[in-house]
Amino acid sequence: MFGFTSKQLSGVAIFLFAIFIGVPLLIGLTGRWDFYFTLTSVALLAIASAGVWLTFYIGRINIGQGAFALIGAYVSAILVVKVGWSFWISLPAAGLFAALVAVLIGLPILRLRGVYFAMITLVLTQVVTLTALALPITNGAKGISNIPLPSGVSIFGIPLLPDFAGMENTKLAFYYTACILMIITYATLYRLVNSRLGHLCRSMQQNEELASSIGVNISYIRIVIFAISSFFGGIGGAMFGSIAQSVYPSSFQVADSVNFMLNCFLGGLGFVFGPMLGTLVLYFGWDLLFEFGKYQMLIYSTVLILIIRFLPNGLLSIRFGKGGDK
Amino acid sequence: MEQILANGVYLGSQYAMIALGLTLIFALMNVLNFAHGQMYVIGGFVTYTFYGQWGVPFILALVMSCVTLAILGALIERFLFAPVIKGSAREESTMLLAAGIAFFLDAVILLFFGEKQRGVPKIVDGVFNYDFRLIMPYDRILICVLAILSIVAFIGLMQYTKTGRALRALAQDRTAAQLMGVNVDRYSMIGFALGAMLAGLVGGLLVTITGVNLGMGGPTSIKAFMMVMIGGAGVISGAIWGGIILGFMEAIGLALLYQYGDITYLLIFVSLMIFLAIRPQGLMGKPWG
Amino acid sequence: MTPLLQVKNVTKKYGGLTANNDISFDVAENEILSVIGPNGAGKSTLFKMIASFTPTTAGEVIYQGERISNLKPHIVARKGVVRTFQETTIFKSMTVHESVVVAQHLRAKASLAGYFWGSKAAQEDVRAFGKYADELLEFLGMSEISSEQASNLPQGSLRALGIAIGLATDPKVLLLDEPFAGMNHDETMNMVKLVRSVRDERGVTVMLVEHDMPAVMNISDRIVVLNFGEKIAEGTPSEIQNNEKVIEAYLGSVDDEIGM
Repeated sequence: MFGFTSKQLSGVAIFLFAIFIGVPLLIGLTGRWDFYFTLTSVALLAIASAGVWLTFYIGRINIGQGAFALIGAYVSAILVVKVGWSFWISLPAAGLFAALVAVLIGLPILRLRGVYFAMITLVLTQVVTLTALALPITNGAKGISNIPLPSGVSIFGIPLLPDFAGMENTKLAFYYTACILMIITYATLYRLVNSRLGHLCRSMQQNEELASSIGVNISYIRIVIFAISSFFGGIGGAMFGSIAQSVYPSSFQVADSVNFMLNCFLGGLGFVFGPMLGTLVLYFGWDLLFEFGKYQMLIYSTVLILIIRFLPNGLLSIRFGKGGDK
Repeated sequence: MEQILANGVYLGSQYAMIALGLTLIFALMNVLNFAHGQMYVIGGFVTYTFYGQWGVPFILALVMSCVTLAILGALIERFLFAPVIKGSAREESTMLLAAGIAFFLDAVILLFFGEKQRGVPKIVDGVFNYDFRLIMPYDRILICVLAILSIVAFIGLMQYTKTGRALRALAQDRTAAQLMGVNVDRYSMIGFALGAMLAGLVGGLLVTITGVNLGMGGPTSIKAFMMVMIGGAGVISGAIWGGIILGFMEAIGLALLYQYGDITYLLIFVSLMIFLAIRPQGLMGKPWG
Repeated sequence: MTPLLQVKNVTKKYGGLTANNDISFDVAENEILSVIGPNGAGKSTLFKMIASFTPTTAGEVIYQGERISNLKPHIVARKGVVRTFQETTIFKSMTVHESVVVAQHLRAKASLAGYFWGSKAAQEDVRAFGKYADELLEFLGMSEISSEQASNLPQGSLRALGIAIGLATDPKVLLLDEPFAGMNHDETMNMVKLVRSVRDERGVTVMLVEHDMPAVMNISDRIVVLNFGEKIAEGTPSEIQNNEKVIEAYLGSVDDEIGM
């Protein structure tokens, strides 16, 4: 019904098998339990990166996703800690709140193009950090810590989601949760891009004037896309906060916003699954370089510069992408 | 009141210099230089090393900051930006490269100078005190004067020299400049070096007042972006106005709202958003930069 | 009978500069009307105001009894008044077929959500769009370049692509911006034939802005002449050819614009 070819379907199947069975098996065999945390982070960051990619799809370079991730993390933390909501309800609420903020901020700034939009989104990240420091409800620099783990959800006594606090292996549970969220995000993104809205976005990306001359309500679509993008950011951030069980003004900074953008660019902007690959390569690479101690940053940035220097159109431009190519 | 004005001029002159370098690079190559703040920090550390550590005269140390950054800027342009601009399908790749360079310079700073805050001995002692209505240490006044002189020198360079004219032609229209016989590659490099040099010069000047540390790079870039947005990207007068306006807003905000801490920047940002909603191209910019 | 579209006392000022001053004329249904004039006469500005790409300083444009000036371009397009652009304004990395498909989005019956889930109506739409795109491209003689990427097309085909995109929106009035600019004689004749068939076979009213005098004389039912932002004449091609003011305006400006 979704019009996949058999090759695509088998790619997706291999990918799902790999992340849900392959990875836990490998980790069990090698005993590198720390990889769960790394891969969970990759999945969550990939969700936020998907949003950045989507804003690029309407021709805007978004370096403000860290702001929305931070907003999401705080909203979820406040709802869970101060209002006593279940994490699972606070999660969509965090996404929706981030989307609402995006609509309000987007109304003025989405009219900007090119570097202007890029610059103002970058500033936005800094501003949300400052707001978190200044507001009473976010606890200033102390942040919100001791966030309880997600509680179980059951309807009519049938457990839908387990209670994370009662689990022995929360790492695996978080890993699965993050992967499922990531898959939902990318499935949504894939459908979106290949549906009419996606085509309209593409027309706007290529020429806003011409798009409006054929009747595309460009300012409306810009807002909708920016809201969806920030929703992804909010969800990713909220989940992150829940795993870390804490959120501080510095949980997401300007550098994180830049990294979300890098993930997209590096994966390749022409491919829906580019940001996923970009996040994996960058974050996993960063993590692996941890062994080099103080040279970690130097090696990481050198490799990054070399990649851009010699593959300026993204990793997927050399087509070694597997597991669900567009 | 006098104090706020003086602080505004002092901050504004520093900021204008930072914004000038950023806007020059943007105008010439359409590159948003994320590494601008890091270049500023390196400038600070070079002056720190020469003046603070080795006791070289301050002016000589400043010159070393300029030379170092000019060479660094030229190398970065020649070996990184120029080939990426040529080989990339999308203009935005340069943004990615700039971010990579910002990380790289951060790493280099970390290796050479560590994370600690560094300061240098005062260049002049004493405080100017006008009836307790206007208090300003002499070193700040000196730095402010030096900054204003540098800006004047930069404008003079852009207006009255052959290099300046070539750079302005290049900024206005790359293709036309090429047709007019401007050596585009060469002047792109010179322009980038000049922009980096300005960042280094401010870094060197300010290390005598605020000191320098690794974490200053990112926030400096962000302030520079704000100034460029206020004034209009790629316009020299815009960068100067942006710097002065931000400097004054900060001086006023810090004076009136100091008990609320970081709220000044929040207000500045909100006003910036409202301003950009009305005037997306900034004060002096052409529509859509 | 009321005219299909009326330009009523339209004025446009940029700062101290008057681009259009108090211009009025009517466009009847199913006619081909050209707006001509020397460079800088304000033709393009007038077009932009009709399509609401820029607001008027004074006056208004009425289409089927409704004001369409000072709105948003997409709203005017939805009402059926669609402009084309000169050749650089295209969807660069889409193929010709894709461009024409995307331009049909106003015809969509399924909702955006329906598209997202792949509903029946959406699948119908997609099929209908593809079919109509084939049909339209065949009508315009562009079937062979249907799968070419727009950025690879030669100038002449780009112009046709612009018209194809405009037509795909199912307009009542099509505003063509210099459709013959830079074309040689044969290409111009082909384009004249094409524009005429758009009117004759599709029932689209055509307004065009043009420099190319012979082509304009050949194609137009009526002509409006602008000079320095003012309307100096209006009438059939033969009336315009003999109008002294027009001859003066053209001789007074760049000579070689006539017969180019």
